[in-house]
Amino acid sequence: MSYERHGRGGGYRRRHRDRDDWDDRRREQQETPDDKLKIAIIKLGEVDPIEELPRLEQQIRDHLPRNIPILSEAFRIGVTEQPYKSPFYAALLRLLYNPSATNTSEETPLGRLVLEDFWKGFQSYLDKVAWRETRLCIHFFAHLTVAGLVSVDSLLTLLRSFTAVLDEFGVSHGRAKRAALCAGEGLIIAGSVLKAHNPDSIDEIINAIQAFNDTTTNLKWLVSPTTPVSAQTVQHESTSELLETLLNVLNHLNQSDFNDVTTCFPQPYKNSSDLDNSSFIPYDLPLVLVPPEVIELDPLSSDSGEDVSIKKEEWPEFFVRLFPNDVSPDPNTPAGYIIRTALLDIVDIFEVNRKECARLLLEYPKWNLPGTFKPKPGAPTTVEPTPGKDWQLESTIIECVLGIYLLLPESPKKSIYYTALITELCKLSPSTVGPAVGKSIRKLYQLTSDGLDVESARRFAEWFAVHMSNFGFQWVWKEWIPDLNLTVQHPKRAFMRRAVEFEIRLAYHERIMKTLPEPMQSPDAYVISDEAPGPAYDYDDPTNPHHESAASILNLFRGRAKVEDVIAHLDTLKASLESADDGVNPDTILRSMVVQSLLQIGSRSFSHFLNAIERYLALLRNLAGNNNGAKADILTAAAAFWRHNRQMVSIVFDKLMQYQIVDPTDVAAWTFVNGVTVGQLAELAGPLNLSAFEWDLLRGAIDKANGRVTIARRKVAALKKEDDDARGRVKAKADDTMEVDAEKAETVAAPETDSPQLQSALKAFSSLIKEQKAVLSRTLEGFVSCLAPSPDEPRANPHSRTVVSEDAWENRANWGRDEWNAWETWGWCRQFCRVYSPYLRMYNETLYTISLAKFEKSTDPAGETLKSIWSTATGQDA
Amino acid sequence: MAHVVSSLDQPSNYKDSQARVDRQKQNDLLAKSTTLYVGNLSFYTTEEQIYEVFAKCTSPEDGGGIKRIIMGLDRNTRTPCGFCFVEYYTHAEALASMRYVSGTKLDERIIRCDLDLGYKEGRQFGRGKSGGQVRDEHRQDYDPGRGGWGAQAQRAEIERRREVEERYADAQDGPGAVAGGGGDWKQEDSGASTNKLKRERSPDDDGDERLVSLNLPFFRVVHL
Repeated sequence: MSYERHGRGGGYRRRHRDRDDWDDRRREQQETPDDKLKIAIIKLGEVDPIEELPRLEQQIRDHLPRNIPILSEAFRIGVTEQPYKSPFYAALLRLLYNPSATNTSEETPLGRLVLEDFWKGFQSYLDKVAWRETRLCIHFFAHLTVAGLVSVDSLLTLLRSFTAVLDEFGVSHGRAKRAALCAGEGLIIAGSVLKAHNPDSIDEIINAIQAFNDTTTNLKWLVSPTTPVSAQTVQHESTSELLETLLNVLNHLNQSDFNDVTTCFPQPYKNSSDLDNSSFIPYDLPLVLVPPEVIELDPLSSDSGEDVSIKKEEWPEFFVRLFPNDVSPDPNTPAGYIIRTALLDIVDIFEVNRKECARLLLEYPKWNLPGTFKPKPGAPTTVEPTPGKDWQLESTIIECVLGIYLLLPESPKKSIYYTALITELCKLSPSTVGPAVGKSIRKLYQLTSDGLDVESARRFAEWFAVHMSNFGFQWVWKEWIPDLNLTVQHPKRAFMRRAVEFEIRLAYHERIMKTLPEPMQSPDAYVISDEAPGPAYDYDDPTNPHHESAASILNLFRGRAKVEDVIAHLDTLKASLESADDGVNPDTILRSMVVQSLLQIGSRSFSHFLNAIERYLALLRNLAGNNNGAKADILTAAAAFWRHNRQMVSIVFDKLMQYQIVDPTDVAAWTFVNGVTVGQLAELAGPLNLSAFEWDLLRGAIDKANGRVTIARRKVAALKKEDDDARGRVKAKADDTMEVDAEKAETVAAPETDSPQLQSALKAFSSLIKEQKAVLSRTLEGFVSCLAPSPDEPRANPHSRTVVSEDAWENRANWGRDEWNAWETWGWCRQFCRVYSPYLRMYNETLYTISLAKFEKSTDPAGETLKSIWSTATGQDA
Repeated sequence: MAHVVSSLDQPSNYKDSQARVDRQKQNDLLAKSTTLYVGNLSFYTTEEQIYEVFAKCTSPEDGGGIKRIIMGLDRNTRTPCGFCFVEYYTHAEALASMRYVSGTKLDERIIRCDLDLGYKEGRQFGRGKSGGQVRDEHRQDYDPGRGGWGAQAQRAEIERRREVEERYADAQDGPGAVAGGGGDWKQEDSGASTNKLKRERSPDDDGDERLVSLNLPFFRVVHL
């Protein structure tokens, strides 16, 4: 086929086709009058909500024939997808309660009809246990209660049905937390009328949330980002925990009878005249029961475990504070809590479109009271700043987004979303967002030396690198030059090194080198390597005793020799290596030569590597056999080859697992024994420890094993359904035949056994479950041997036990390389236990018995700490 | 949340203008697609840089990951020509890239992602005299990242360029020229290792078989 023919002269046809598309889209978007009204309601407030309200009211009243479901749907979308507009929707609904000009006063107000229909939508959110939508509808109901449209008693009952969740037997932390937010936030908004009506009920709700919060101390210890390994108490400097801020705010408001809320958010519905209390009957919200979580219904329906879907654990949420209270609001104050909640909801809801999300975040002040945020630079000051407010919008937003990004053990959405969102914010308003980002980086950098959790610090470096790669790698590195005097593994220096490594991966060595000031470019600053991270083929050197043997293998690969021929050649080489008898293991040398030569062939790019591996897959499998030593040799050879490029080590390990040359357990085992030697300048290595790089390798291995179980589980479920359906059909047919010919029916009896596909899927599933358990077990064992080493461990870190004490932490200014290494290893152990807790729980007993039971009667401080991390993560303490 | 804003992960008007499958079929394919077409790359950008960015959208715990990357090459010179395909194991990962990566910078250029019907043999060659990638051929501005006047920049740039020019000199056409990247986990044969030796090709190329069976003709990428 000629490309030219279509490349040129095809213009007309292409344009024509293009117009077809255009027409398709037009047709799809044709709007009915109902749709137009719906859109008008959703778009309320594009210019000025207060001014638009009467106009929109009229438009709704004029719309005939009346379509209540369309109206209530528009309200539902507005309330659940644009929660910052909730007070204005409440005001709109209030207006729709006014008697219409033409009709008699006896008719049911239009607003009431909408509200009754709106309730049905709420009920369906609740039935699906859609927590966010449920909570946002409660906001709306609370506003309506203040507006007088909903009866105070019925709102109280609604809130109580959420605090009732907190008392459920065995309630999960996530469910309880969300229920508490529903009740608590409803109370913030409607507290003034609720308290006037029934003061005791306020205490009752607050106490219920408080009682639940008191049970979460241990969980908090494990996910607070600035708490030292040792301390069992949570440090609150620089962080705030979500439920605790809610409680602080509620207690604060309760003291002032909730009058303070009038300065926290607009209440435009208060502008309407009072309803006639003698004749007006407010809407009674119907009674509800919060249904159980779908996923928690029947977790143990199958013994083999293939029906169990993994539910992510939910933890207390600690947000890092980056700015003082006069720059961004304190979330422990009512106004601060409301602003942060509003921003968090925007970030969550608009995840599908980060560009729109950024715009809406920067427009947020429009929906809060005037004077809350400083006006844009250069904009005329139309309102006086409110005393105690006048915050800086961009700093508030960045603090909030970074707060979610850094949540432990992981952020709710993919990390890259928050990074991309900050990029968009910077693009929209570089002059105001840029400085906020710069200050955040400095604050987080400072926090790394005050005990910022290792996972938070790793994510900080990742964000830093991606952010810089979007903005020309412009960072003022020179302000950190004095920190080069700190010990080489100090978290600040680890951060610089890591950030630079990540930047190089996104760009290239030269590019990043030239962004650094001279003192950081020098190799003994340990910030950047002096050469680009290329391959290191050990046998390239003619003085290497195996140089020629390796060259012969390399040539076979270059000539694309057949696998059989390579194997024959290897047999000859092995024989001569064995006869040489120079003390080296001939198999190990052979594996190293083969793997390194193959990687050399594939060193030009990722896809060259894949091509090389796929061409010699059979050879590699043969080489690996079923021998763990062989697999470790393969990993060692690969890591040595890419020792200057740790990204490639991760990639190669990932694909070696993907091609089933090694198993995840091999990688986990290898990492604990050999990880520290990869790409580390000798100065950085030292005794047994784990840094972020080794953690990445472990995570890659564990995720691979978990991912395979996930796929296998889905496959089993699909095949089971197929089998069941087939049985159903056979049975139905049999039932039909039965009546006609009872004898023949026996011959078509439903098959009792599983289909061959299902049998093999079940077999695969049980193999993969074993592998999953093995990799988790190996990892836990690895941590135990690093952190509580046995006396005969030759490479034990002498400080792994000492750094856990609080005194040691206070003395950290005097720590050297090994202390910081030990401290970081503890951090990864915490991360392992909390992020994989849903998996660890499944094998809790076995894993505990293998690795931790030995500490039961000991007084080893490391053993004690390991046990308490473990029991918190697996829920023994909860 | 399609009510208030549109989602960034919707298929755009990027399409295969030559495909003989009807639009409905194309839409069905895109709704399951695990492949992205990535455009506006610098000619110097390496697969490892691409890997680094796109790996941030993977979900390994759901069985995902980067399956493979196929660099778009000039048919005549065998050098990168500014586009590539990134293939994931899952559809969700491709969508995540649309939302979070498309429109951000890679190697200091704003890249653009589109859901793709899937890599098909021969598609890695574009541009050149008879190539298919036409989207930015009318670019007028100075653009050191894509060759042209940037060549006499610094030594490092020249070195980088030399590497790039040689890197894909061995790129081949035809069946099996592009690696599969490894497929789903398979139960190991209980047979002896000699059995394994007979398995010359990767057993893991399911993805390709699926595409081949669609019998798509070689199609060009046209941005409209």
